[in-house]
Amino acid sequence: MEKKDIIQSFKDSLFTGLIALALFGPIVGLRTVSKGEGLFITPQWGVVFLLVGLCILGRFLININSARRTEFKIFSILSSKFSSITENKAKHFAITGILFAAVFPFLPFTDRYFMDVAIMILTYIMLGWGLNIVVGLAGLLDLGYVAFYAVGAYSYALIATTFGWSFWICLPLAGVFAAFFGILLGFPVLRLRGDYLAIVTLGFGEIIRIILINWYEVTNGPDGITGIPRPSFFGLPFKRSPDEGETSFHLFFNLEYSTMHRIIFLYYLILVLALITNYFTLKIRKLPVGRAWEALREDEIACKSLGVNPTNTKLTAFAIGAMFGGFAGSFFATRQAFISPESFTFIESAIIVAIVVLGGMGSQTGVVLASIFLIGITEMFRDLEQYRMIAFGGAMVLIMVFKPKGILANRKPTILMHGDKK
Amino acid sequence: MSNLLSVENLTMKFGGLTAIDDLSFDAKNNQITSIIGPNGAGKTTVFNCLTGFYKPTNGQMFLHKEDSKISLRKYTDFKIAYVAKVARTFQNIRLFPAMSVLENLLVAQHNELMVASGYSLFGLLNLKTYRDKEQLAVDKAKYWLDIIGLTHRADDNAGDLPYGDQRKLEIVRAMCIEPRLLCLDEPAAGLNPKESAELNKLLKFIKTEKQTGILLIEHDMSVVMGISDHVVVLNYGKKIFEGTANQTKNSKEVIEAYLGVDE
Repeated sequence: MEKKDIIQSFKDSLFTGLIALALFGPIVGLRTVSKGEGLFITPQWGVVFLLVGLCILGRFLININSARRTEFKIFSILSSKFSSITENKAKHFAITGILFAAVFPFLPFTDRYFMDVAIMILTYIMLGWGLNIVVGLAGLLDLGYVAFYAVGAYSYALIATTFGWSFWICLPLAGVFAAFFGILLGFPVLRLRGDYLAIVTLGFGEIIRIILINWYEVTNGPDGITGIPRPSFFGLPFKRSPDEGETSFHLFFNLEYSTMHRIIFLYYLILVLALITNYFTLKIRKLPVGRAWEALREDEIACKSLGVNPTNTKLTAFAIGAMFGGFAGSFFATRQAFISPESFTFIESAIIVAIVVLGGMGSQTGVVLASIFLIGITEMFRDLEQYRMIAFGGAMVLIMVFKPKGILANRKPTILMHGDKK
Repeated sequence: MSNLLSVENLTMKFGGLTAIDDLSFDAKNNQITSIIGPNGAGKTTVFNCLTGFYKPTNGQMFLHKEDSKISLRKYTDFKIAYVAKVARTFQNIRLFPAMSVLENLLVAQHNELMVASGYSLFGLLNLKTYRDKEQLAVDKAKYWLDIIGLTHRADDNAGDLPYGDQRKLEIVRAMCIEPRLLCLDEPAAGLNPKESAELNKLLKFIKTEKQTGILLIEHDMSVVMGISDHVVVLNYGKKIFEGTANQTKNSKEVIEAYLGVDE
């Protein structure tokens, strides 16, 4: 390590500090406080200098680290932790993960809060798996996936509140509606790829949200839909005192009434739905249509020259991806019992795309890891309130630094001629 | 030998530029017909018209089938490969690089497998009828891989193969759709002499063993002269000569326009 290197890295980190100052200065430094008759600006330069200092130090350490032969311990630990996540281990991880998920509600430390976070993570995993079909397999960058989530949620809510049908009838219907919207979006964007496709799908997501806000007669506009029926356990509702002529869950099984019953049921519901999504994706990937999706991602012109119909192939990807988004949406509606357009903003799409991309495009286990990592870390820092988004950003940066192709970027062939060589 | 393809008065204009000007030629079954000419002569444009990527301004292209003939103009896009069974390769290789060699060959059999999998329904139920069909498709892939000697790399990514092997793989991938006409766009580009000799062998095998006519665009004269039964020479979109390889080699026009004189 030479003196020249140190000076060079020091200069570089000072420059980083300058950028950090430009960003944090106005964002963090100038705080508006409303006092009596108006807004007043209170500067908080102390925090700014702390953040800028952290940036300079961090950058300096990274620079020194890349210049030195031997790495800092923390870097080598982190990078070996990250690189130890491989597809082989992923298989063990999948099995233990499913087992752990199955017993999770009955573990001693599991409380209501843990269950809520787990349900949220599972919802994102399911959405990630659904979007993985469109983005990971078919290579169609869809930035408006939340639209299908919304279509599913609203279809479920409207059908359930209007006709009073049960969850198990409304769920497939919501999936069908979402798939229909998937095809509706698919048609105009058939000829688009890459950036252009991303922009149009982003617009589509916004269109759906704005329709939901403005179509007051049907969607109840920004007020949302309330009183969405809760799911029942095969006809047994989770109520303390059931209606006349009804038996509720705790009476039927002779249990003490607890609100946890419903939470646990919801947990298993989303777990099963997510696992169905996963099973379906793993299966269909090995079928001709799945291979055609991946081929389309690789080279559309070559696909045409081999007689693969790109229109049908793309539309099935959009439809199936949207269908799973719709299922997740109806789960969301029944869990919350209240939905409004506010739940379906662009940030949701962005998070789901982030989960798929950071997990490693097309990797099912990667989606799980990325969901736990991104959503879990953000949840862990909930006490920091609005600063928890820094944790979200930090988690993304960590993955990008140590695993630029995503947590699990290895693709396994869908069919082997010589069997597994190991 | 019966006619396989007849191109009649084909004209292709891009705005004011005439890329192909009133071109007519025939290609026969079980023969290799080469299209040669200087860069920009319109060779790839002919291919793009034949394989449905461009719609010709004028003229007809017929594919003969026993007694009947079908017009290629009617088919566009993927239907050229699917219905008319005209396959092609590309000047710059277009494999599916992140998919395995075997998968590349299975995608080429997509339409048959799609029907066999009951549009995914039977496949999802894992029915035996589908599994058998899939095994047949794998066997067909293996047959072709054996011929080009790449069976041992079947499970590797296509993008990881050496350049010469990628060229060969692209050709056998096109053969997996069981084409009646195979259009090869500069298959020998970038190959060393040993590899082009192997390519010659492969093309001769396809020509004699399969019911397939080959249309070949090539600059490598060792390939063209070594295997062509018939040569069509283009210059500025016009046909300037047509004949056997030997006739072409000695034609004054062709030497002037393209081959050049040995010094």
